[in-house]
Amino acid sequence: MTMTLPSAAKPVAKRDGDHARDRSTWLIDRAPFLIACGMLAVLIAIYGTLREGVFSFEELNLDTAAAMTLLLAATGQTIVLLRGGIDLSIGGMISLGTVLAATQFGGSPLQVAFAAVMIALLGFAIGVCNGLLISVLRLQPFLVTLATWSILSGTALMILPTDGGQLPDFWMAFGNASLLGVSSSVGLLVLLVLFWVWFRSTRLGIEIRATGSNQRSAELSGVSILRINLLAYGLSGLFAALAALYLTTQTGTGSPTIGKDYILPSVAAAVIGGISLFGGRGGMIGTIVGAFILTIIGNLVFVLQVSSYWQPVVSGVILLVAVLASSLAEKSARRSLS
Amino acid sequence: MNALLARHRAVLLAYLGMIVLLLLTSFVSQGFLSGSHLRTMAVLSAFIGIVALGQTFVIIGGGIDLSVPWVLNCAAVLVTLMANGADGPLIYAIPIALAGGALVGALNGFGIALFGVPPIIMTLAVNVILQGGILIYTGGAPTASAPPLIQFLAVGRIGPLPVVVLIWAALAVAATLLLSRTAFGRYLYAQGTSATVAEFSGVPTLRITVLAYTLSGFTAAAAGVLLTGYTAQAYLGMGDPYLFTSIAAVAIGGASILGGSGSYIGTIAGALVLTILTGLLPALNLSNGALLVVYGVVILVTVSLASDAVSDFFAVIARSFGRRDNAQS
Repeated sequence: MTMTLPSAAKPVAKRDGDHARDRSTWLIDRAPFLIACGMLAVLIAIYGTLREGVFSFEELNLDTAAAMTLLLAATGQTIVLLRGGIDLSIGGMISLGTVLAATQFGGSPLQVAFAAVMIALLGFAIGVCNGLLISVLRLQPFLVTLATWSILSGTALMILPTDGGQLPDFWMAFGNASLLGVSSSVGLLVLLVLFWVWFRSTRLGIEIRATGSNQRSAELSGVSILRINLLAYGLSGLFAALAALYLTTQTGTGSPTIGKDYILPSVAAAVIGGISLFGGRGGMIGTIVGAFILTIIGNLVFVLQVSSYWQPVVSGVILLVAVLASSLAEKSARRSLS
Repeated sequence: MNALLARHRAVLLAYLGMIVLLLLTSFVSQGFLSGSHLRTMAVLSAFIGIVALGQTFVIIGGGIDLSVPWVLNCAAVLVTLMANGADGPLIYAIPIALAGGALVGALNGFGIALFGVPPIIMTLAVNVILQGGILIYTGGAPTASAPPLIQFLAVGRIGPLPVVVLIWAALAVAATLLLSRTAFGRYLYAQGTSATVAEFSGVPTLRITVLAYTLSGFTAAAAGVLLTGYTAQAYLGMGDPYLFTSIAAVAIGGASILGGSGSYIGTIAGALVLTILTGLLPALNLSNGALLVVYGVVILVTVSLASDAVSDFFAVIARSFGRRDNAQS
């Protein structure tokens, strides 16, 4: 009597070629991020030769403060892009957040803190609504967030038709505070990196990336797509609200139209940093590099004393170069797999 | 008959919504249905409709064109600068502006189809580069006024009909024929449904993609030229509203943003709905903010009505009603 037992798979000895291949796929996978790092290094080097005192802590504080609103907005966008979606509504949420801050902040610091927490929660709730519409009605993220962007901007305009409102001094002082030469913006940057290091290995972080890489296999492995959508878009809304709160510490007013300036740059920062629009690939560190590239381009245009209109042109070209590199890397990765 | 209804449900809903809106508005504000007001709305719809024509083709093919605002604006600025208020130079100014728009569109198409750049990023980058380029070129200052011939095309009339609406009608017929009667149209739907399947079935995807984006660049430029006639001069930022409205018109018209479905007839309804909504604004004493909220809600509602989830839901309800009828008989 012979019984065929499923034989245990023999461990296949790794051949020499496999190690080289591992290294090359690692390189191809990281190519867009590495290219972004290279571009940032070149830009900083150019900036450093054009101006004195670039390599100082003061400059780091200034640049981080300039980049922080975009960074916060792009953090949420990164999470949604990793899931394979896109969130255009952050523009409306940022406008609404600054407007609410400008009209609701008043009185004691405790009241202000309460209002700030409420704005952050509102951002999360609105993001959850986006996720709900996308999941339950099976609508495309682009259209849903385009519609909610319009609704949120409209609401902001109804609350405050033109730029205005006055924020309490201590609120703005917080945004520009520094401790031992380290500004609060650099502190926030460190917090953001720590958040990402923690978040990416949480169950949610892994599931979001798995869903972005391949929704079907994630679903078959027991991932709840509804939960992923609610939380990914919820976090995006939360970070947009935080971006709005930070922005008010810099501008001191509410603006019902300012948010639209952050929608496309938030996507651009992530893409320049190596996040794939097809989901699943890239990380927050790349987005930070991307946001700093966009910020330093602004500085360079200022230092070179050329027309400020050059800023969008250079940003656009860098975006194209980055995305070309990324798609070529993806193509060659696919070729080496097959 | 039922199948036909089901297939065109989204388009029918868009037209139904348009008629309801029109009646509602005429109820609220007197004179809304007067000849001159209807004409104004038709003219405003024509600009949205012409920009949305190319957008319809691109979206059916599974892409999106975010470069329309500054393609439109560049064409408008170039035409007025070259013509400098005279009709004579238009002989070459208009063709150059239109060809420029088409060329930018072709560039978008090549970047997307040849290098695999995601459409959102490709067209966004091109939009930003054009914006910066034209700002540097003009120094940010307002430019020359529109020549009389373009003003005639935009605001003139032949009999009771505005010229621009006649142009729109001709373009609409051409677009519908192109989508339904040509190989290009068939290929476009196939590619929008599944790019992989289309490519393996021998659809020349590179050519189809480049053609669709070229068309979008062309119609955006055409709308830019006509719009200078309406506003009497080109100004920077004149194209910005058309990013949102061109996509919204296509979406309201029942096309799936993922590609593979939609028609230009639907987009026309979308353009009309958006214009009527804008007309509601003064009639109901609504602010600009309220209009944006209404826009968003309308997009959400129309897109939901056309979504699979909602039609499944209605199918379940219809079936349960049918079962009850059977049980009773």
